[in-house]
Amino acid sequence: MPEDKIVITGLGVISSNGIGKDAFFEGVFSGTSGIKPVSLFDTSLLKVKTAGEIKDFSPQQFLGPKGLRTLDRSTKLVASAAKMALDDAGLNITEENSRQAGIAIGDTLGSISSISDFDREALTEGPRYVNPALFPNTVINSPASQVSIKFNIKGFNATLSTGFSASLDAINYAVDMLKFGKAKVVLAGGVEELCIQIFLGFYKCGFLAGSSGAAGEICCPFDKRRNGVILGEGAGILVLETLGSALKRQATIYAQVRGFGNGFDAFRINRYNPQAEGLKKSMRLALEESGISAQDIDYICSGANSSPDGDAMETAGIKDVFGQSARELKISSIKSMVGECFSAGGVLQAIAALAAIEKQMVPPTVNYQEKDPACDLNYVVNQASNCKIDNVLINAFGPSGCNSSLVISKFNNN
Amino acid sequence: MSRRVVITGVGVVSSIGTGRDDFWSALIKGESGISKISSFDTSDFSNHYGGEIKNFNPEVFIERPKLAGLGRASCLAVSGAMLAVRDAKLNLEGIDKERFGVAMGTTMAESQIFQEVNENWVKKGEGAINPDLICRLPANVLSCNVAIEFGLKGPNYVISTACAAGNYAIGYAYDLVRTKKADMMLAGGADAFSRIAFTGFNRLLAVAPELCQPFDKDRKGMLVGEGAAALVIEPLEDALNRGADIYAEIIGYGLSCDAHHMTAPYCEGIKEAIEKSLQEAKLAADDVGYFSAHGTGTPSNDKEECLAIKKAFGGYAKKLPVSSIKSMLGHTMGAASAIEAVTCCLVLKNGIMPPTINFKTPDPECDIDCIPNTARYAKVDIALNNASAFGGNNACLVLKKYG
Repeated sequence: MPEDKIVITGLGVISSNGIGKDAFFEGVFSGTSGIKPVSLFDTSLLKVKTAGEIKDFSPQQFLGPKGLRTLDRSTKLVASAAKMALDDAGLNITEENSRQAGIAIGDTLGSISSISDFDREALTEGPRYVNPALFPNTVINSPASQVSIKFNIKGFNATLSTGFSASLDAINYAVDMLKFGKAKVVLAGGVEELCIQIFLGFYKCGFLAGSSGAAGEICCPFDKRRNGVILGEGAGILVLETLGSALKRQATIYAQVRGFGNGFDAFRINRYNPQAEGLKKSMRLALEESGISAQDIDYICSGANSSPDGDAMETAGIKDVFGQSARELKISSIKSMVGECFSAGGVLQAIAALAAIEKQMVPPTVNYQEKDPACDLNYVVNQASNCKIDNVLINAFGPSGCNSSLVISKFNNN
Repeated sequence: MSRRVVITGVGVVSSIGTGRDDFWSALIKGESGISKISSFDTSDFSNHYGGEIKNFNPEVFIERPKLAGLGRASCLAVSGAMLAVRDAKLNLEGIDKERFGVAMGTTMAESQIFQEVNENWVKKGEGAINPDLICRLPANVLSCNVAIEFGLKGPNYVISTACAAGNYAIGYAYDLVRTKKADMMLAGGADAFSRIAFTGFNRLLAVAPELCQPFDKDRKGMLVGEGAAALVIEPLEDALNRGADIYAEIIGYGLSCDAHHMTAPYCEGIKEAIEKSLQEAKLAADDVGYFSAHGTGTPSNDKEECLAIKKAFGGYAKKLPVSSIKSMLGHTMGAASAIEAVTCCLVLKNGIMPPTINFKTPDPECDIDCIPNTARYAKVDIALNNASAFGGNNACLVLKKYG
């Protein structure tokens, strides 16, 4: 049934290791790290000074010179990614089809800098002098809404704020809406911006690599030396549509979204569940919905972000779900190159999965040196690896308890 | 393939009353929850009134050690959820928690924590940022805290579509149960009283001095409020099997986006959501017995919403009973459409429609039947719950009387 199959026909990506599809694909396969000293704000008084910051980003290039003044960074990033995705998909949203087009964005912290800037201005200048044009940016859905306004998307407009899993959840929301017949095409993905507020927050909570202890700032998922996350930022947008719609407009199809699962660890906020119960459940449900077995997965695009407990939890979960085949699977984490992009993490992984399917190549986990007995699977490290890739499993999870898994498959119309 | 879905429990925490019965009796009496703001100093503002919940004690619902880790929005959300679970007479021991999920809507989630962080920062510098506060701040804590309270391991979502978020969350929960992706959902919305929102709406000149008067010719704006509501949503068959009291059946919802302006309401988008909701529910316009309006009391919202009602309902628009409970509660942001969904459930169940209070002078631009000032008895079979939001998000939910 062409209305039951959901396919990806366009992508737009802005990340610290590449702006645009070609640069991002090249970046993840060559193992280029986007993690560099932060320039957006002053880190001189902090022990941590690096992040996956997007440099050389010019929103004018994508959005034109006008109407950008009051938009916050998240909005500029996601709107630029949306423009790239629409162009890539060759999709023209017109008055005729705009009611059949929707948007679903994962974004949890994206408005934090806007809220903080607005409120601190009110506190220092007095509430009568704060700029009212900046108030709309304080609602969490403002980036998604600005994309709707810019590109005339009238079907629906959803923002999912589920933290680490937010952009996979947004992609799944989009798939659901397409399957329920509530839209013919949906822009889905996520965004998160780097700002002093989030950086300080993670730093003060002790989540950042190098924020305590002597190990320094390294982003090395699965490596024994790992000591916390390096923050990143990014935006990724996928154009999702029913197969029927894609065929009708003769779109180029990247891949098929096969299945999704999620599971909540009702454990304790800010602690990974060492039993990986929620993540095991999300992987199992995603496989089940995909109608494929664990052995059919060729590559796991991992959510490991160099946090000691998180990487070990995912490894334990994979062993449980995949049994014998766990050791044959190729696994890698692109977060080693782009950092932890939070709500945008899942969609960047999804785009890396599309790259893997297109080039039949697994991007590497960079910075890997020292083996950890708690993370002892077949990680693709430091260099990309060629192999047959039909089915990719993407994991997104965090210490808040939300776990989501998505299966993306090579498109095969039969 | 698709299951019938019903609402079997409701919980409300609001400025006019906490719990179904207190809330409902205040609503029907037309009591106002508006009072002088006490959670922060308003002397630098020209307005001083809002819908704060003055007598809410979270310790009634949440154990003290747990409370320390929760911001006010989470406290409101967990308390609302607890009331809903009790109201549904759920035996949590006998329920498959793997298939029981949570979907909460919000505008700004833990805004009071934001404010505390910012106040410390402004007064004492970056060094004063407290990590304990930061951990309680991300929007996703709302649904996580609800799920942790009851041990619920199913789908877990925070949907942040501003003031239409409650309806978005309830709509998605309905979809998940309908399509067997979950067997039970707690869905609703929560927002805490926000100085940031109060500042912003004041700067947009959208705040009324003291009274929220939806649809009145002399309406002067909205009032910021706070609150939470949660609904227990389950398949009809399960509800019947466990002998649950059924408030209403969810039979559809409609979403739309204006794609027009960040803050200005727009009748075409609102109309679109109403029409989609009727289509999905396979209803004619004159099947609708009660319309719970977004009705914020700003000049533009009420005008555009009334225009949308007239476009969507045609000749029936003037006969359709419409009310805005924001006249009593103020605008509870992400909680608003969830509290209004509870209201619709109780309208269907009890056969009384709440009034729009503070109504004095009819406005030719809002020439609808807004149930002025006094509640009205009427047997209602279908209620529509309409919501709009910043960003041009519109969501309209259709509830049907069961039995």
